[in-house]
Amino acid sequence: MAERLKDEVWTAGDLLERLERRDKFFVLDVRNRDEFERFRLEGRIPVPAVNVPYFEMLELGGKDEMLDSVVAYVERDLADQLPSDLPILAVCAKGDTSQFVAQGLRRLGYAGANLKGGMKAWGEHYATRALVEGPDLAIYQLSRPARGCLSYMVASAGKAIVIDPLRHLHPYLDLAHGTGLTIEAVIDTHGHADHISGGLALAAKTGASYYLHPYDAIHPIDVLPATFLYEFIRDSQVFPLGRHELKALHIPGHTLGLVAFRLDDRYLFTGDSIFIRSIARPDLGGKAETWAPLHGRSLRRLLDLPGGTTVLPGHFSSLDEADETGRFAATLDDLKKRNDGLVVLQRESEEGFVRYLLESLPKFIPEYVDIKRVNAGLLAPGEEDAATLELGKNVCALSQAYVASGGGRQ
Amino acid sequence: MSQVFDKLLDARGLNCPMPLVNARKEIGKLEPGQVLKVVATDRGSVADFQGWAKVAKNVELVGQETESTEGANVYVHYVKRTA
Repeated sequence: MAERLKDEVWTAGDLLERLERRDKFFVLDVRNRDEFERFRLEGRIPVPAVNVPYFEMLELGGKDEMLDSVVAYVERDLADQLPSDLPILAVCAKGDTSQFVAQGLRRLGYAGANLKGGMKAWGEHYATRALVEGPDLAIYQLSRPARGCLSYMVASAGKAIVIDPLRHLHPYLDLAHGTGLTIEAVIDTHGHADHISGGLALAAKTGASYYLHPYDAIHPIDVLPATFLYEFIRDSQVFPLGRHELKALHIPGHTLGLVAFRLDDRYLFTGDSIFIRSIARPDLGGKAETWAPLHGRSLRRLLDLPGGTTVLPGHFSSLDEADETGRFAATLDDLKKRNDGLVVLQRESEEGFVRYLLESLPKFIPEYVDIKRVNAGLLAPGEEDAATLELGKNVCALSQAYVASGGGRQ
Repeated sequence: MSQVFDKLLDARGLNCPMPLVNARKEIGKLEPGQVLKVVATDRGSVADFQGWAKVAKNVELVGQETESTEGANVYVHYVKRTA
């Protein structure tokens, strides 16, 4: 019993550790069905889950109080679906209702735990990991694990460049503060569709310059220009950083203004082009057939880089794409063998590859049009609307890889 | 146009699940045909009242409104006891 009580609250950080360790546990998710379908807990291994909206538990449990209804409902209608030998994590939107559920589970003798802050806290959780860490060069990978978004801080000699910062600024500000780094430049590799960029805000907060390729300062569907000031990124432009340099490679395809960055000859920040298990989709600007050939040619350009180059991608679709240390990184040579899209790219003609791209497009996410508007300064949502737009995991990769990742499409 | 109601439940400032838990108790005290107006600040209550009205017997969700006062949204639900 003591063991059970000790684990009754999991923070988002605790949850990430368990997902990364492949711990076995069960999820009782009490959100609405559509929220559950859109945004589920996913780990390195599948996380078994059952979804019963809390208002059904309350009504069908038939008691006045939430806790009593949970106990009555679970005992009568759910007992045969719940494991008695695994922790059961109660999950709701913000972590309040799930407290009653966890408590009810424990009252019935289950190892019930509550996800503190609910899916909101999980969706907004950031993890920071050093890929390289020394006074001469440091590379940090900052991720939002629930969303599959990756961003980076690259530093040398006390100065830092941030690549693709996500919506919340505290992970970047805290890291810079903790390591004594000054953020000199903030770069977006492209106009993002799946998440709201923190780029402009981080640059404003730190006094750094904000860089974007001008093609991506135009909303592709509205064909309207961005409303803010930014510095243009040119192909082959060099950003010096201590004894190192970042060099821009314009690789249109996922967007028209997509830029990858080479750090010396060793690292490649690929943005949304090459991920670990898959490649980016070419259709989020609404011009899939026009952009797909560009995408293929850009990817071939990246494949010509030295095979020992370490790819640092902008996304993942599954936590299982990380190495055993939780880092999302792999060499080009390695990816040529195991990345679904790159395997096809090497095998197919240009036409064959375009066909593959167009046949592998996942569902278009309607919110992505608005998110691009936000990132062009054409729309300014409040916090709640911003969080709603960003809800769930990114769908920036082709669908084969999405399914192959064992993700949430059961 | 606001809906006519018989009783008002102020659930402002309450987090999920309390707006719904309290509304359910209040509905139990109404006569069939009477309407409860629930005022809440929890945005999730909009979908939750809809979902609940579908499973609950003798309850009909007769209206929902969002009112914006001084930048803060208030979510209003009109729930009728049908039997």
